[in-house]
Amino acid sequence: MTDNARAEAVVLRGVSKFFGTFQALKNINLTVREGERIVVCGPSGSGKSTMIRCINRLEAHQEGSIHVLGTELGDDLKNIDAIRREVGMVFQQFNLFPHLTVLENCTLAPRLVLRMSEADAEKEAMRYLERVRIPEQAAKYPGQLSGGQQQRVAIARALCMTPRIMLFDEPTSALDPEMISEVLDVMVELANSGMTMICVTHEMGFARKVADRMVFMAEGEIVESNDPKSFFEQPKSERTKQFLSQILSH
Amino acid sequence: MSALAASTARYRHGMEPFATVLVRRMFATWHDAAISIVCLAFVIWLLPKLIGWAFLDAVWSAPNATPCIGGAGACWAVITARWRLIIFGLYPFDQHWRSGLACLAVVVVVVLSCVPALWRPVRLSLLWLGGFLTFYFLMRGGVFGLSLVGTERWGGMALTLFIFTAVAVLGMPMAIILALGRQSELPAIRWLAGLLIDTVRALPLLTVLFTAAVILPFALPDWLIGDKLYRVIYAFALFFACAQAEIIRGGLQAIHAGQLEAAKALGLGYWHRTWHIVLPQAFRNSLPATINQFVITFKETSIVIIIGFFEVLASGHAAYGTGDWTSAYAEVYVFIALIYFAFVFSLSRYGAHLEKRMRLGHD
Ligand SMILES: Nc1ncnc2c1ncn2[C@@H]1O[C@H](COP(=O)(O)OP(=O)(O)OP(=O)(O)O)[C@@H](O)[C@H]1O
Ligand SMILES: [Mg+2]
Repeated sequence: MTDNARAEAVVLRGVSKFFGTFQALKNINLTVREGERIVVCGPSGSGKSTMIRCINRLEAHQEGSIHVLGTELGDDLKNIDAIRREVGMVFQQFNLFPHLTVLENCTLAPRLVLRMSEADAEKEAMRYLERVRIPEQAAKYPGQLSGGQQQRVAIARALCMTPRIMLFDEPTSALDPEMISEVLDVMVELANSGMTMICVTHEMGFARKVADRMVFMAEGEIVESNDPKSFFEQPKSERTKQFLSQILSH
Repeated sequence: MSALAASTARYRHGMEPFATVLVRRMFATWHDAAISIVCLAFVIWLLPKLIGWAFLDAVWSAPNATPCIGGAGACWAVITARWRLIIFGLYPFDQHWRSGLACLAVVVVVVLSCVPALWRPVRLSLLWLGGFLTFYFLMRGGVFGLSLVGTERWGGMALTLFIFTAVAVLGMPMAIILALGRQSELPAIRWLAGLLIDTVRALPLLTVLFTAAVILPFALPDWLIGDKLYRVIYAFALFFACAQAEIIRGGLQAIHAGQLEAAKALGLGYWHRTWHIVLPQAFRNSLPATINQFVITFKETSIVIIIGFFEVLASGHAAYGTGDWTSAYAEVYVFIALIYFAFVFSLSRYGAHLEKRMRLGHD
């Protein structure tokens, strides 16, 4: 099957986003096909977070259109709910629910949104906690775990909803260096399982290993979009070269 | 001596020596030392007198006040003789057991509410509703062959407990609704909740209760007037709710924005987010202030005296105000103070325990 034959998972056409008068996204065009792994990078404030947050409507765009799995995102709450059920998200700050145990964090949405029974939800949750290699922590509270463990729980929590698309917003930036790889390992494994992924990250080793396509953003625009080999070895624009030399120098 | 020795030993064990702590805390400067010595002297002077008054020279029981007259000690006989009036007020004497059972029901409900296994919205609501109906029908009667006793005859401890729990049970849901309303995305609701909260909070409790008890009947149609006790309770609950709403709002504001985003990203709708993510965290954040509000409210129940209710302070007043016990007012107030202390102290200890327990599940 060629890339073009695969169904479109996320399509952004001419998307613009304003915070008051400040334009955070400028005419963004991006198509992500099912099973594709996109890595988004760019300097701070370039609109990376804003772009992926528009995909599950944590931010509303003002111009252009966003289609997720064939459904258009607009003010229609039914569409928003339907899309959020299919799109998982992992945040920089983990955002686990501190008053719930690890297991409860994982079973809450499946029970309430998918109306799973408690027993089924727990069985599923344990399966995903095993997959992120943390089943022994199920009864603990998030506050009792290390950052790397919390982020793996956050990934398991998102996977428990059996999403078809996963969004990652700098999942390793808040972690101590020695914990980054345990999270990246889980993400690599997820990528190898065929999950559609859009990752904002500056972990270029991870990007080389799993990305089908690199997207470079600056000042609210997509400056360059290319396969990793060309992206790293023959960047086309000056901005990209400059950014890469900065980020790869250390 | 032995108690001091024991506590000294405890301090020595693995800690700074007791004497060092004492010196550091109380005799650090000549200034501190002077104050410490004066206080100590006062305590040493007062303690024997107090023990003598309260225990050694006290009259514990007597059919009337005569044995107390001219005595140096406390006249606890007034309590033995009049405790029923203090606890049950003007409730019919031969029906006091009903009032006692009703108080017990409320205490049982409060104690059971402290059991974490019952901390499910449905279980808690059922518990409180059950306890409340038990209290109400025991007190009021008119069913199961119990004679009817109107609320105008309810009094003493039972009335205090009734007003307090009714205010809490009605006020808490109102407070939650007001707090959420004030944070609503709809400007009209936000404005309305804000107006109500700020207006009521600007008024003294006495004014609010007085209006409900005395002025409202002139303004309302007959079928809406209802019982004076209930009008007062509704008004009191509204007053409580407006103060508590601001406390909950503080708890809401302390919740990290990422919590809501994570809940949205998981597909949870507004009510699920509110019920499972927002409110539990808001409650935890506002727990110390909430317990404090309960303590204040419990003490404020004594204000209903002024609008003609016979709660525990008023019945205490009556206990020494009639007959020949007039000289024993101090004893009656000490007794009532002990009752208040028992309630307020256990409430605040429980709050401290909850806080410690909840910190476990916090970041
Ligand atoms: N809620 C907001 N209100 C106003 N401006 C915002 C808001 N969120 C983001 N912005 C602005 O939009 C721009 C893009 O922000 P965004 O968070 O998407 O950048 P980013 O590429 O993710 O940066 P970083 O690498 O620092 O996370 C920034 O200039 C930021 O200040
Ligand atoms: Mg960002």
